[in-house]
Amino acid sequence: MQPSKLLKPGLYSEGSSDREGATVRLKGGRCRCGYVFFPMQTYGCERCGSHGDALTSCELPANGTLLAEATVHLHADKNRPAPFTIVKVALDDGPVIRTLLADDSAPVAPGQRVTGRLAAVGQSESGETVLDLRFSIAS
Amino acid sequence: MTRSLNELRPVYAVGIGWHRYQNPSETPYVELGLTAIRAALADARIEWPAVESSYVATALLGMASGRPMLRHLGATGAPLMHVENASASGSTAFRHACIEVASGISDVALAVGVDKRNPVRRSDTGIGHLAEDAIVPFTHFALLTNEYSVRHNASAEDIARVAVKNHRNGAKNPNAQRQQERTLDEVLGGKRVSGSLTALQCTPIGEGAAAVIVASEDGIRRLGIDAGRAIRTTASVGRSERVYPPGAGFDAALTKETADLALAQAKLAPKDLDIIELHDAFTVEELLYIESIGLCPEGRGVRMLKEGALDIGGQCAINPSGGLIAMGHPIGPTGIGQIGEIVMQLRGEAGPRQHGGARTGLAHMVGVGAVCYVHILQK
Ligand SMILES: [Zn+2]
Repeated sequence: MQPSKLLKPGLYSEGSSDREGATVRLKGGRCRCGYVFFPMQTYGCERCGSHGDALTSCELPANGTLLAEATVHLHADKNRPAPFTIVKVALDDGPVIRTLLADDSAPVAPGQRVTGRLAAVGQSESGETVLDLRFSIAS
Repeated sequence: MTRSLNELRPVYAVGIGWHRYQNPSETPYVELGLTAIRAALADARIEWPAVESSYVATALLGMASGRPMLRHLGATGAPLMHVENASASGSTAFRHACIEVASGISDVALAVGVDKRNPVRRSDTGIGHLAEDAIVPFTHFALLTNEYSVRHNASAEDIARVAVKNHRNGAKNPNAQRQQERTLDEVLGGKRVSGSLTALQCTPIGEGAAAVIVASEDGIRRLGIDAGRAIRTTASVGRSERVYPPGAGFDAALTKETADLALAQAKLAPKDLDIIELHDAFTVEELLYIESIGLCPEGRGVRMLKEGALDIGGQCAINPSGGLIAMGHPIGPTGIGQIGEIVMQLRGEAGPRQHGGARTGLAHMVGVGAVCYVHILQK
């Protein structure tokens, strides 16, 4: 297998693989007050203001329900050529995240179950395949 | 014990002025700002030395842009401060000018907004993100458009009608950046930007200036200002985003709590409003916010729009200026320009876009962050 690396290892790690590919675990956080957030940070809890030991890391499976999608037709940044599709996903653990739909995904609609997986998005200078999180319809 | 604005001494908008909102040009910001301030002084029929304090709203001009502009009015030594609060910069400047006069610290204060379309620069928080670089404002609102459409069974055409109305209003406003009526086909057929949003459903990039002078009753008497053209600010509320239930749209939730507080402060109900100027940078926002303000139940905005209830001459004229979609959104000036429009309407001086019998107006802005500001003005 070709060597690979994650584009944003601070935000997610590789989970178990199924026949659709590698699943993803998001690096979230949980406050003593019960608030679950993404990504993990130690500055302080947005709900109650606690910081330090009150905030602990937790893994959030990249499974959730689609709240909205939008295909971007125009985008000024040349590093991200349009079109691409942004999805807003309510994770099963609570946090709402916004990220990219997989290029090869079937069209999605609000209410559908979606899953995040690792997808090859390019090559590093040392020849590794670069993997990033992309959502698609849950199998 | 704390007090709200309308429990302090009364404060009135007495002078309004603009430099037309326009496409980015070579015109220096100093000229944009001075044009608006001199128009506001002329409207109030007062001279610059009467202004005791200035609040300069700007998001994109960089540090200390106010004094190089204001000095050309004659350097009086009066205090000035800069206000940056994203899209709500102008609304925030107006609030603090009102507070200064209502508190008794000054009798006459200026809120002026001026901006050129320079690049937006935001500092890194140190917290990573998945793909926020790919989610510019029009995509944030394209996502909300998708949610609204599905939740309330509203078609792309239904939502685009907001733009048809606001371009029609803007066509009658000499200070608007876009002054052309557009058909539904033109709006829908334009360049696709993100999701179902087309270019004519999005605020244009532009520049301009707006100014409002506020005064106390003492100031009005002392300077011989026409009290019959003075419009009182009866509520001022600023809020910032809290943690809402997962999936709740923060723009709408924040608007609701801010508008509720402002209506309570002025002892008014939503049905009492004749005019609303609100943050319609993207069409769906107008529907979300009239529902948040309480003009109609959630999901009923499209019906009001189709019935003409939101037109000039309808039940409540929404964005008679043309709103951010047609009048434009040069950032710093926008919230101050909204106040100017409401003042013009309440005085009965809005000419071809006059909403008959207007006595009560509400101005609403959200700013990325998110913050929300609501003011109510009454005749
Ligand atoms: Zn907490």
